[in-house]
Amino acid sequence: MTADSHALTTGEHTSVAGLAHDRRGISNPILGMLLFITSEVMFFGGLFAAYFSTRAANKPWPPAQFSEILNPFSLILVATVILIASSFTCQLAVAAIRRDDRRGFLRNMAVTFVLGVLFLVLQAYDYSLLFGEGMTIGSGPFGTTYFTLTSFHGAHVFGGVIMLGVILYRGMSGQFSARHHDAVEAASLYWHFVDVVWILLFTILYFL
Amino acid sequence: MATHALAPDASAYSRGLLYEWLTTTDHKKIGIMYVINSFIFFLIGGVLALVVRTELAQPGLQFLTDERVYNEMFTMHATLMIFLFVIPMLAGLGNYAVPLMVGAPDMAFPRINALSFWMLPLAGILLVSSFFTGGAAAAGWTSYPPLSGEGPLNSPGAGQDLWIVGLILIGTSSILGAINFLVTIFKMRAPGMTLFRMPIMVWTILVTSVLVLMATPVITSALVMLFIDRNYGGTFFDPSGGGSATLYQNVFWFYSHPAVYVMILPAMGVVSEVLPVFSRKPLFGYKAFVFATAAIGALGFSVWAHHMFTTGSVFLPFFSLLTFMIAVPTGVKMFNWVFTLFRGQLTFSTPLIFAIGFLTMFLIGGINGAFSASVPVDFALHDTYWIVAHIHYVLFGGSVFGIFAGIYYWFPKMTGRMLDEGLGKIQFVLMFVGFNLTFFPMHMLGIQGMPRRIADYAANAGWNDWNRAATIGGFVIALSILPFIWNVFVSLRNGRVAGDDPWEANTLEWATTSPPPPYNFDRLPEIRSERPLFDARHGRIGH
Amino acid sequence: MSSTPRKRPAPDALVAGVVVAILIALVLAVFLTGLGSTLYPPKAATSQGREIRGLYDIVFAFAIAIFIVVEGLIVWSVLRYRRRPTDVELPAQTHGNNIAEAIWTLVPTAIVLFLFVISWQTLNSVDAVSAQPDVRIHAIAGQFQWQFEYLDGNGTKVATQLAPEYSADTGEGGMAVPVGRSVQVTLDSPDVIHAFYVPRFLFKRDVVPGQTNRFEFTVDPKEAGQVFRGQCAELCGAGHRRMLFEVIALSPADYDTWLQALIAKSNATPAPPPSGTVLNVVAKDIAYDTKALDVAAGTPFAITFSNQDPSGVTHDIDIRDANGNVLANQEPINGGTSANYAYPGLPAGTYTFICSVHPIPAMTGTLTVK
Ligand code: HEA
Ligand code: HEA
Ligand code: CUA
Ligand SMILES: [Cu+2]
Repeated sequence: MTADSHALTTGEHTSVAGLAHDRRGISNPILGMLLFITSEVMFFGGLFAAYFSTRAANKPWPPAQFSEILNPFSLILVATVILIASSFTCQLAVAAIRRDDRRGFLRNMAVTFVLGVLFLVLQAYDYSLLFGEGMTIGSGPFGTTYFTLTSFHGAHVFGGVIMLGVILYRGMSGQFSARHHDAVEAASLYWHFVDVVWILLFTILYFL
Repeated sequence: MATHALAPDASAYSRGLLYEWLTTTDHKKIGIMYVINSFIFFLIGGVLALVVRTELAQPGLQFLTDERVYNEMFTMHATLMIFLFVIPMLAGLGNYAVPLMVGAPDMAFPRINALSFWMLPLAGILLVSSFFTGGAAAAGWTSYPPLSGEGPLNSPGAGQDLWIVGLILIGTSSILGAINFLVTIFKMRAPGMTLFRMPIMVWTILVTSVLVLMATPVITSALVMLFIDRNYGGTFFDPSGGGSATLYQNVFWFYSHPAVYVMILPAMGVVSEVLPVFSRKPLFGYKAFVFATAAIGALGFSVWAHHMFTTGSVFLPFFSLLTFMIAVPTGVKMFNWVFTLFRGQLTFSTPLIFAIGFLTMFLIGGINGAFSASVPVDFALHDTYWIVAHIHYVLFGGSVFGIFAGIYYWFPKMTGRMLDEGLGKIQFVLMFVGFNLTFFPMHMLGIQGMPRRIADYAANAGWNDWNRAATIGGFVIALSILPFIWNVFVSLRNGRVAGDDPWEANTLEWATTSPPPPYNFDRLPEIRSERPLFDARHGRIGH
Repeated sequence: MSSTPRKRPAPDALVAGVVVAILIALVLAVFLTGLGSTLYPPKAATSQGREIRGLYDIVFAFAIAIFIVVEGLIVWSVLRYRRRPTDVELPAQTHGNNIAEAIWTLVPTAIVLFLFVISWQTLNSVDAVSAQPDVRIHAIAGQFQWQFEYLDGNGTKVATQLAPEYSADTGEGGMAVPVGRSVQVTLDSPDVIHAFYVPRFLFKRDVVPGQTNRFEFTVDPKEAGQVFRGQCAELCGAGHRRMLFEVIALSPADYDTWLQALIAKSNATPAPPPSGTVLNVVAKDIAYDTKALDVAAGTPFAITFSNQDPSGVTHDIDIRDANGNVLANQEPINGGTSANYAYPGLPAGTYTFICSVHPIPAMTGTLTVK
């Protein structure tokens, strides 16, 4: 090659050090979590689209047989309140760790975790009530859509609870501080997302 | 140990080379494993295609006397080719190239990267194993219900369930990969590399990742619903139970149309890297190219129902118009490529030859796709061999030629050795001739009325000659793979030593050693344009 | 700019130009004559098909033109701009050209908009269905058999054609339609998705369970007497390939005779149960109720066959020898009906009895002749 090609070794250079962490803007884990949540939104979007299309094709909705079964003012309302409350305690935990209040962080995180578990227990109990009334995933489009949507939401709550558990565990071993708590922020984003999906589900399934 | 790779010493090898590769989180090793894994599934998928072609060589059922087995063959052929070859192969090339091209030491989440990769062989084993569990999936790669549902005439048995699980795994792998690409591209570019100085390959991976992120979860939801219908008595897609058969198609194609761009955009990226390097000119219309890529991505979400023109349940003019419109940004790219060659100084190395193969063949595939955008014409063409011709002109003539261009282009970087040019050219000629001999006659078959997905046809239908030609062509393609495999093995040992920058290329990966050290760069040249190495080599001329 | 525009030896451009010109001539020759005719659809048999053909021809002309322009440019560039050993200087580093970019954005936009508009117009006319068509046919596609129900003006069924393929020997079977009359077809499926496809109509429409599709066509008068091959075009399982049918174009007078004959046949009282050996076979849920039958060698026998599947699911009982040769070919009967099938005497041996519509294990059994 021509002498030109040696220009590489003589030209200006930038050091590589510090490249891995671009400190501007949001951090990698949080961006990653936001993107992950985007994909989850699309996943639930697919299920919701199926729900509305199925619902439009099946009149009356709910079918006569189950016309009274989904009563919003029942146990499910308690579960809803619990899940919404857990979003607030989760945010309190984040706020606490931001100001380096580790005890406040752990306390709120533990409450969030317990509330999450409680929601799952209530949902399981609610399922057993519905099964008792003869509504299952096999009982026509109504049962199929109801149980698919709520159980996939439940699975996401379960995943979220595990995430919170890991955060709690790491927090107890002192891994988080005001400067270092990306994982906490990311987990809380996920938890809020799970909460929002539930509010949508609750409104659509029980009120619309 | 692997974690000390920054300063590798003898102990790095104490657990053995195999252990090193199996546990690696280095994007380059993962990228190479992606490439090898995908290539293996290309061979398996290709052998299934040869079975299909052999059965179709002449009228009469020769050896697949159970037609269900024939259906398994093309179903698994397409499933492996799409989900375990083209998509992961391009993801693998991206995995190798993107961090190097943006001047990053690795992907943003190296361990998630390894996880994404390892889901693929797992899913592949699940899919292939279904042949031994009483029959693989046989409802076509599209797996429309009710055919893909339960029932003695539909899809009884575990094959279809394994197919669903395998695809969900692959989808998850793609989504995690896309997140990794996006964070890497947004957050880890070298100083000076603004978005509009990124190599086009990086741009195409960026748009592809957005498509994957937004579309793949939707097919996951379709697959989940199908699984529930099959196994838990659900009725999403079961018309007799209040569901809708076309609902699945809408959800499926909402993913699978964007997915075809997932399969072509990175290949376009490869071609857009290769053409400038071997014509010694910049890419013509860099910004137009970026906008065209974004436009294809955006339009890609609004045309899905062009696969459903004959279902009688979609609004035809809307989807027809938008499908037609996609030809415009794609045309912009086509002309940009041609005018990159125009008035250049072309060196006909194997990567360039494959890139030109891409241009000539993808052009045909794009144009015969545009026929189907015209709804009444698609009434004639839908579900005939014309569509099979379209599929292969875009996916083989486009993606696969692009993939081989990329492999020949980056092999020196990956291994430090050049592939043999002579063998490369033999491969190209055989592949190009075989490809056209196989797939061009399918236009004629389709237009004369041969439906796809049939194991046999009447001897007096007038389809015998073209079918025989296609079968011969299929074997010529298979033959062309042999010099390639030979080339890889020979060149790994005896190939010419590549040096850092054997092609006089433009982008950052050529600024480091071949193969690059574990953390990629000791130092980086200054980045003032999309061709930092060109600038370093020639000063700032032409800017 | 440190690079200078290059001066090319003239022959280079000349050779490239000649090669491209030859290629263009070849492509044109192939497409406009002989070989190229195989790239056109078969002659359309319906007025709707003719419109689609007209549209196809326009799309095709644009396709060839675009192909020649772009492929010509590629081939020309490849031939013309090879790098020479003397090429040390870089070529001009052109980064783009706004006018060129605008042209190749706007021209294709104009082309596709034009193609869209003419496609839309054609669509509106080929997709139109009238309130009072001359003939109404209800086609039912089930795994793996077509049935054609002929309806009167009120939509009431007057006759059913269970044999979808035309037989030149008996002159029976097939879906007959009168030429020059509008024929409206409604499509239903009891099981999975199928598609009604007749290549010479240049048309197909899916048969979707749970959704009734509808389309209309008029066969050209000069096609009277022709038989058009039709086939299911949507993968529907192991018997997809065998879902063939035929459309018979008849003059209106012949059609009326044909239909009266079909009506008479539909209404005919079933033949009295034959004497001699009579076996009973029931088909339900796409399975026979027996896997084995025994008869004596050399004596004719009969099977009273009851199809208890829903209407739209047809079955029959054929007999094949060990090599798969069909020894007795019965006509399938619709779900909810029964029939008496008569069989000739067979030499001693083992045979297969099988449903020709559903040749699956559940509808296959062994016939032992002793
Ligand atoms: C890499 C994959 C890939 C790509 C890139 C494309 C690209 C396109 N595809 Fe294709 N397609 C598939 C893969 C792909 N397709 C597959 C796998 C199927 C079958 C699925 C199945 O059923 O199994 C399919 C099926 C399919 C159908 C359904 C057909 C049917 O089943 O009836 C249609 C209908 O419109 C279609 C259209 C198009 C169009 C308009 C483009 C456009 O993007 C093409 C645009 C490009 C050009 C047009 C060429 C360059 C442009 C110019 C030079 C400008 C000038 C041109 C004009 C003015 C026209 N495709
Ligand atoms: C990237 C995608 C891709 C690729 C590369 C190919 C490659 C090929 N395809 Fe396929 N094909 C599809 C995607 C693809 N296909 C899709 C999506 C469908 C639709 C399916 C559906 O309807 O559901 C389809 C359908 C399809 C059909 C229609 C089937 C039908 O409708 O009935 C046919 C028929 O000829 C066919 C043929 C071929 C052939 C001959 C090749 C050849 O290129 C293959 C070349 C051969 C090899 C690569 C083999 C190499 C092997 C060796 C060299 C031997 C060495 C072996 C070992 C070491 C083990 N394909
Ligand atoms: Cu019915 Cu294919
Ligand atoms: Cu598409």
